Amino acid sequence: MRERTLMNARGLGLLLLTVLCVYSFGTSFLFAGDGNSQNLNHILSIPNAEFLLGTDHFGRNMWLRLADALQLSLFLALACVLTSVVTGVILGVLAATRGGWIDRLIDMLVTLIMALPGLVLVMIFASIAPGSLLVLYIAIALIQWVEYFRLTRAVIQRVDTSPAVESSRLMGFGLWYLFRRHYWPVLAPQLLTLAAFGAANAVLMMASLGFVYVGIQPPTAELGQMIVELFPYYQEAPWLLAQPLLALALLVLAFHLCGRRGADAPD
Amino acid sequence: MHLIKTTDLAVYAGNVELLQPLSLTLNKGERLTILGQTGSGKSLLAQAIMGNLSESLHCEGNVELFGKSRSLSERKALWGRQLTLLPQEPWNALSPLMTARNQLKETYRLVRGLAESAARTRTEEDLNQFELQAGADKRVDQLSGGMAQRVAITCAMAGGAQVLLADEPTKGLDISRRDHVVGQLKAQAADGVLLTITHDVAVARQTGGRVMVMKDGVLLEEGLAEDVLSTPQHPYTRALISADPAKWWQPPRQVFPEDSEALISARQLTVGRGDQALVSGLNFTVHPGEVVGVVGDSGCGKSTLGDTLLGLIPPHSGLVDRQKGISAHHWQKLYQDPTAAVSHAVPLNVLLTDLVQLHNLDATSVPALMARLGLSETLLQRTASEVSGGELQRFCLLRILLLKPVFLFADEPTSRLDPVTTREVSQLLVDLAREQGCAVMLVSHDPMLIEKRCDRVIQLSA
Amino acid sequence: MTQLLFKRLLQLLGVAWGVSTLTFLLMRSLPGDMAYRIAAGRYGMDAVDTTSADLVRAELGLDQGPFRAYLQWFSDLLTGNLGNSLVSGMPVVDELWHMLSHSFYLAMAGVVLSMLIAVPLGVATAWWGGWFDRLMLTLSTLMRALPVFVTGLLVIILFALELQWFPVAGFGSVSHLVLPAIALGLSLAAVSNRVVHNEARKVMQSPFFEFARTKGLSNWQVLYRHGVRNLAVPVVAFMGIQLIMLVEGVVMIESLFSWPGVGHGLAHAIFARDIPVIQGAALMMGILFVLLNTAVDIACYCLDPRGGRLQ
Repeated sequence: MRERTLMNARGLGLLLLTVLCVYSFGTSFLFAGDGNSQNLNHILSIPNAEFLLGTDHFGRNMWLRLADALQLSLFLALACVLTSVVTGVILGVLAATRGGWIDRLIDMLVTLIMALPGLVLVMIFASIAPGSLLVLYIAIALIQWVEYFRLTRAVIQRVDTSPAVESSRLMGFGLWYLFRRHYWPVLAPQLLTLAAFGAANAVLMMASLGFVYVGIQPPTAELGQMIVELFPYYQEAPWLLAQPLLALALLVLAFHLCGRRGADAPD
Repeated sequence: MHLIKTTDLAVYAGNVELLQPLSLTLNKGERLTILGQTGSGKSLLAQAIMGNLSESLHCEGNVELFGKSRSLSERKALWGRQLTLLPQEPWNALSPLMTARNQLKETYRLVRGLAESAARTRTEEDLNQFELQAGADKRVDQLSGGMAQRVAITCAMAGGAQVLLADEPTKGLDISRRDHVVGQLKAQAADGVLLTITHDVAVARQTGGRVMVMKDGVLLEEGLAEDVLSTPQHPYTRALISADPAKWWQPPRQVFPEDSEALISARQLTVGRGDQALVSGLNFTVHPGEVVGVVGDSGCGKSTLGDTLLGLIPPHSGLVDRQKGISAHHWQKLYQDPTAAVSHAVPLNVLLTDLVQLHNLDATSVPALMARLGLSETLLQRTASEVSGGELQRFCLLRILLLKPVFLFADEPTSRLDPVTTREVSQLLVDLAREQGCAVMLVSHDPMLIEKRCDRVIQLSA
Repeated sequence: MTQLLFKRLLQLLGVAWGVSTLTFLLMRSLPGDMAYRIAAGRYGMDAVDTTSADLVRAELGLDQGPFRAYLQWFSDLLTGNLGNSLVSGMPVVDELWHMLSHSFYLAMAGVVLSMLIAVPLGVATAWWGGWFDRLMLTLSTLMRALPVFVTGLLVIILFALELQWFPVAGFGSVSHLVLPAIALGLSLAAVSNRVVHNEARKVMQSPFFEFARTKGLSNWQVLYRHGVRNLAVPVVAFMGIQLIMLVEGVVMIESLFSWPGVGHGLAHAIFARDIPVIQGAALMMGILFVLLNTAVDIACYCLDPRGGRLQ
């Protein structure tokens, strides 16, 4: 029973994610036009055949803009997760198996990074190079690799004391074998969960920064910033505000559902 | 008057019958032991009588207690005061953050309903009587297994219940502690009823009274303990009794002269973990092909000795001499819990292939060895999670023997297996090692098993 | 435990060093003549001339080489000299002190509210299970998918714009606190009620809980005597983990509701490039974050002397 609800949650998450990807990337191929071009003759228009999701206060096509913004979020999430997983796992394996000064050095670095709430660190980085996607990506990846590192190190250290690993060592197997047969099978499902939540967090970070005006700069379409821009028009055009809100919530929900394990809380 | 009477009591998980309808009656002063292997549905009987089956299970039939039929909620009202269940693993059953004294006192105070001062007096009396004062202000993680066992039993009794259900009360205990616990249970239940559930024939013998033998939720045989255990009727009962190491056939022992070539010798060896020394002053020699038993109470350093001999941890002090010129993978270890000792990620035959490839082993010798160990090709297509403990332990043995070891440290390799499988596996282990000329150090908490399987014994004491 | 406290001390130093280095880099990286910009910010566009710019240059050590300037910058920080705000000209320490007390009210209100929601809900769903549990799981999942500022926006739309029960934003009376606290509390509770649920289930399914019942204690006695403390350990440990979410939530909620706290100050300062305030606010948050983490460590240790924090 539990198994089935779990499958459903994951499946639903994947489905949602696929729909969002198809919409955002498909739009680039199938629709002509530019999400940034203004058309002051058509401001705040309601969804119609020409503008599938209406237009915003500058008359920009919301269908295209929303697709752009989602693409940006998905791209950033992917980049951050890939970078931080690879860094975190490699350093984690290194720290757990080599120990000694490598372990202590990385541990110190981790302690330092964890001393500041992630968002605050990202905000400061963002202020050094305003509007730079690259810096945003570096800042978020810099914070997130720590989680994968800690997980990898903890899992390997735990598995390492198990009879199974001791037995494989006694039989003469090397590090790569231990990783493939013992560490990775335990690590992989937990990494997947962490990566899904990490992706959601990267999306949230960028949106949060956009929301307080220190993230990606206009006119680039970004979900958080779209929400602030459209909020003043809430009374006249509530459907416009609802679009980035819903897109953001669905994207985060999709990632959260993908990361669901037996228990619904992150461990 | 009967204190427990069940009529066609059965337990189901959905539509699957886990315990066949069972009727039994116990009168005041009687003792009944349910005997059977793990997973034979006998634990469910105690829970069904008690009324604390897990949510996914349900039971049918009638339970009468103290001469009256009782519903589930009526039975719950009797808990502690008239009906009590001794937990399987007391170190998990005691509240982890409360001292032993407070757990006992709250039972007198809240279950018995004594006044604060009276509860305190009774608690102190119990602590003195069961020699628990030393652990009274400790948490369960600071208590020894035996002490935790006594605290749990005392707590379960403090409510004053006359009907006592004990589910595997001796699980994981050494023989000396096991005898002690059985004695305590018999004394406590002298005026009431004792229903013991166990897989251990010796416990059934010591408890006396009546015995019921169960397998897969089915009652096979019942009668007075002395009758059933001395002249068993059912083949399963006979297998169970003959699996008792005391009944094993003992092959002639081999004697290795002291001055013959040594494989491992230890001189003035002290072993320990971290800063803590566990055993000291060990002097012994193991010769090629010799089977040496190691016995001692739990926590006395048996596993640590093995790790030291295999070079996994350094000796605390003293010397370990291992014969030179033998490559590392010829020194092997067989683990207590086979499920923890192999990777569960891939099928067993992949693990086997890994090993054959790593050391360029002769793959043609595998089928013959598999046949000897009773392992089939189809079994090896499953993962470690999908085979039984006995099968997995034999698979572990297969991998080790393929490496042609010169020395094997077998650390309680049968303690997680049922008695019948224990006999098979320990026999195979010793026979195959002898054929290959591999020296074995066999560890067990059961002196009788060591007695029957080994050439000589090393007794460890702290 | 000593090792842990030592680690926390290291973190405190690390925060100071990290924040000052980053803000120093920030100052150096700003385009144009920094001194002019700051002077303009301080005295107004018309009043800027070379003299005032030079004054600023000297004050901030901008005329020194980068390494010396960096040392100056860091030693100022260590001696507690955080400088003046480039926008208001007021000492940063004074400004922060005011902001901090405001942030504190908001954070406390949010945490208390989230616990008032999460603990009863988590324990209740663990005890009864069934459809009630599934409903709460679904609600929590949906709630979690909403970023805290979206929750805040929805709360504003519903209670301030539509129902007009509370003011949209601002500061001054208790009614101003209600909406930000609700937004923050709901966001935190969406996660923590499931953590309480999982931990409560673990406790309720544990052999010691079962044994306490079979030895004769009533449901309430078991819950009270053997449930609460064993549940408190992981829940308090989780609050330590949730501190990140709390601080980030406070930053966002303050910005949204114009709540004059540290987070609002930080966001504003970043927008206005008010470097001393950025440094001060980030530093303040880092120090508080580390101190609160230490408090959680100590609480966990007191609740569970077996092994401190469960992670």
